[in-house]
Amino acid sequence: MRFVRFFLALVLTVGLVWLLQTPQRIGSTTLPALGTFFNPFSGFWQNAEPVAVFSSKNIQIPGLLGQVEVVYDDLLVPHIFAENQEDALRAQGYVTARHRLWQMDIAARKASGRLSEVLGARTLNIDRVTRRRGMGFAAENAVRGWSKSTEGMRLLEAYCAGVNAYVAQLRPEDYPLEFKLLGYAPEPWSPLKTALLVEAMAETLCSGENDLGSTETLDLLGRDTFDYLYPEWNSKQQPIIPDTGQWRSVSTFSAPSTFSASSTSSAPSTSSAEDYILGSNNWAVAGSNTASGNPILCNDPHLNLTLPSIWFQIQMHTPEQNCYGVSLQGVPGIIIGFNEDMAWGVTNAGHDVADWYRIRWADADHTRYLLDGDTRAVELRVEEIKIKGEASLLDTVRYTVWGPVVYDHDPEHPLRDCALRWATHDEPAADEMRTFLFLNSGKTYDDYRRALKGYESPAQNFVFATRTGDIAITVQGKLPLRTHEQGRFLLDGSKQAGAWGGFIPPEHIPAMRNPARGFVFSANQHSTPPTYPYYYLSNDFDDYRGRHIFDRLSAMKNATADSMKTIQLDNFSQRAADALPVMLRLLDRDSLDAEGRKIVAELTAWDFRYEATATAAPLYEAWFDSCYLRTWDEMIILREQGRQVSLPERWRFIELLETDPENTFFDRQDTPQRETARDVAQDAFDRMLRYFRENPERRVTWGLFRGFAVKHLAQIDAFSRLDVVVGGHGSTPNAISRSNGPSWRMIVELGEQVRAQGVYPGGQSGNPGSRYYDNMVDAWAAGKYYELLFLDKPDAIPAGREVARQTLSPQ
Amino acid sequence: MKNMLLVVVFILAAGQLCHFGLPWWGLAPVSAVAGWLFPQSAGRSFLAGFIAGFLLWAVTALFLDVPNEGILSTRIGALFMGISRGNVLLATGLQGGLVAGLGCLSGRLGRVAFGKE
Repeated sequence: MRFVRFFLALVLTVGLVWLLQTPQRIGSTTLPALGTFFNPFSGFWQNAEPVAVFSSKNIQIPGLLGQVEVVYDDLLVPHIFAENQEDALRAQGYVTARHRLWQMDIAARKASGRLSEVLGARTLNIDRVTRRRGMGFAAENAVRGWSKSTEGMRLLEAYCAGVNAYVAQLRPEDYPLEFKLLGYAPEPWSPLKTALLVEAMAETLCSGENDLGSTETLDLLGRDTFDYLYPEWNSKQQPIIPDTGQWRSVSTFSAPSTFSASSTSSAPSTSSAEDYILGSNNWAVAGSNTASGNPILCNDPHLNLTLPSIWFQIQMHTPEQNCYGVSLQGVPGIIIGFNEDMAWGVTNAGHDVADWYRIRWADADHTRYLLDGDTRAVELRVEEIKIKGEASLLDTVRYTVWGPVVYDHDPEHPLRDCALRWATHDEPAADEMRTFLFLNSGKTYDDYRRALKGYESPAQNFVFATRTGDIAITVQGKLPLRTHEQGRFLLDGSKQAGAWGGFIPPEHIPAMRNPARGFVFSANQHSTPPTYPYYYLSNDFDDYRGRHIFDRLSAMKNATADSMKTIQLDNFSQRAADALPVMLRLLDRDSLDAEGRKIVAELTAWDFRYEATATAAPLYEAWFDSCYLRTWDEMIILREQGRQVSLPERWRFIELLETDPENTFFDRQDTPQRETARDVAQDAFDRMLRYFRENPERRVTWGLFRGFAVKHLAQIDAFSRLDVVVGGHGSTPNAISRSNGPSWRMIVELGEQVRAQGVYPGGQSGNPGSRYYDNMVDAWAAGKYYELLFLDKPDAIPAGREVARQTLSPQ
Repeated sequence: MKNMLLVVVFILAAGQLCHFGLPWWGLAPVSAVAGWLFPQSAGRSFLAGFIAGFLLWAVTALFLDVPNEGILSTRIGALFMGISRGNVLLATGLQGGLVAGLGCLSGRLGRVAFGKE
């Protein structure tokens, strides 16, 4: 009996321990191993950082050449003081890993298709497509290219070694919280992982194309209607670089032969009608237009807003440079920032650098394909996708001269026989990795131009200003040399002549320095007017932010940092200002009841500002969307039948409302009579009324109507900020949408003493257990900025603003 | 009563090894040793182990939670079905208590089974 009792107790004890250290599945959610997670010695409690002190013991880092001092200010911005650039970058790697290690890990995993390794089969499809799109292939090519610069590689390796110095000293209890939650361990960093993060940025910013959609739309509508509905140039736009005669000597490029669009058969609809805007603003105002006479440079990149934030603020001081700004985790140097002599910022150029080539297979197994009459063998790349708790998936991807055949694993996919030609796959110039390092230490316009020379992907609008009064902007990147409309539609992959004719030569890259108007700016709009001799395209050039920013900057003669803020925070929508008066004109007000007239009065009084408190904005938004979707009902019906049809751009729709209200597309398919724009506006208005009558809880201010969240990277609500109410809209300079928006607002006034302000919706620490995890979110939401502490020596930090100090010494 | 107290003191002291590399489940064998060394009724053994384990985990957690001003425990509570900061501490203590309680009981019953009583 006593043995039985002992045995029972033992079984219970062992059973309990086993239960507490095994992850449990409840329905679709996986709980971490509870004992492992809750025990206060190595579980999550160890990530609870004291609010009052930020621990920072001095440490030794192998490979350092000299001592490095790191001073943390009260926003937890590290100010790194090193004796040379290599040490500064090693220290950058170390401090970045210290605050953002899990973010770095998960970003590299996502970019390399290795999520399933830690998350299991539910991410298998994401991993598979990531790999099939050639992300790993691109990253390997990037490392190969960068390796050709010994100096660049030495610096990148120093950064990686800094990360690894941090990783190496971690005990399991020190792991960032998410590793404990998801139950896996950190890995060493490598140049390949840095390349993967750069490719991931390219995937976000320059992988967009609408080749299939345009091809089908052209097929269905015919050339005339297509050209009428989908013009590429919006004459109301203000391009980044105006025509000042600088291209007169350039003859229009033409490739050896022309290409015909090859059409596809029916296809499942994958693209959405959603108005998804990922963009950015930047500008520089010359001293002639500022109150102080000093140039002011501003930048607010609009990206997916997450916790931890994509950006990490840092200052890096060496005897040769003193630079402050935001960095991307995993990437050496400062991406957007300033030093004592100059400032720079970026927005996405948005050019389409990804094209699909239809492959003609030479055999049933798709091992050979036709090229100029001959057959060629595909190159096979085998991807091993490890899956947590399951056997690996081996996936073979076919590579052609154009690039990978991405979707042939899915026999239903409309692009199953197409290869992806994406500029980002190409081996980059050796100096590309150092672009930002050159900018960090640059002083003059020539330094700026030299830094950009090696920069290839993703193409960016680099704005620039110096203390001595220069302002400039350059559309920098590897931009394909195309014949007219080449790459707008699917291309024939069986002829080499269908290839791009190289890239736009550097001397013709759109650029501008010190224009008479006294400012340069970009907002992801067209780079140039149609007189630019090279053809390029995009399916998401901005149409409204740029126009309004141009108007604001043109009218500003005594600009100050404060007046710059009013532009970054401007919620005025040029789109609403264009569309609403037209819609109101089309509306027959006599037919409205009292409620309808009240709403019209509210809309008429609206100032086109998407303030968080605006109550008219949701009315307009619902009315406009309904007008738009009911006009293009033809396209929507085709989409429902599985055809890949694009809807015309909104600016063109507004133009048609105004100038061509009798157009046949305003006719509704589901009624016998013939409608015009008036009927569409009226019907959409009634629907809007009905919607708000039936859903009175939706009759709220714009901030609540649109909704907004800064979500944790793993979509964990408990680690997200869901309570933030903000104004703004994709068409306003303050381009906030549900989960996107200004990810870093920076204003730099150059001069004897550079003065800079900045804020991002997050915090320096990636640890949800830190007070610095989301401490800047509220200031950001309120439109406040922080004065950025730009120190010339460690002891220059103002009293009371130093949170911690750490010395990193050689081993 | 004295042995209950000794069990608690022993576990609280030996449990500190968890700060120095002993895995968290080391609490179970540590408690078993305590249960073996300080004989008392099975019920009291369990209770003493439970109290010790609960205190060890909850107080250690509390020492981390207070300087953190509950930032993390509040978020973890939200993650686990929206329980409060206090309940996160409670859940921590309960787990430590159960592991130590059962460990202590096993040690006690082991001595009854194999030892000279």
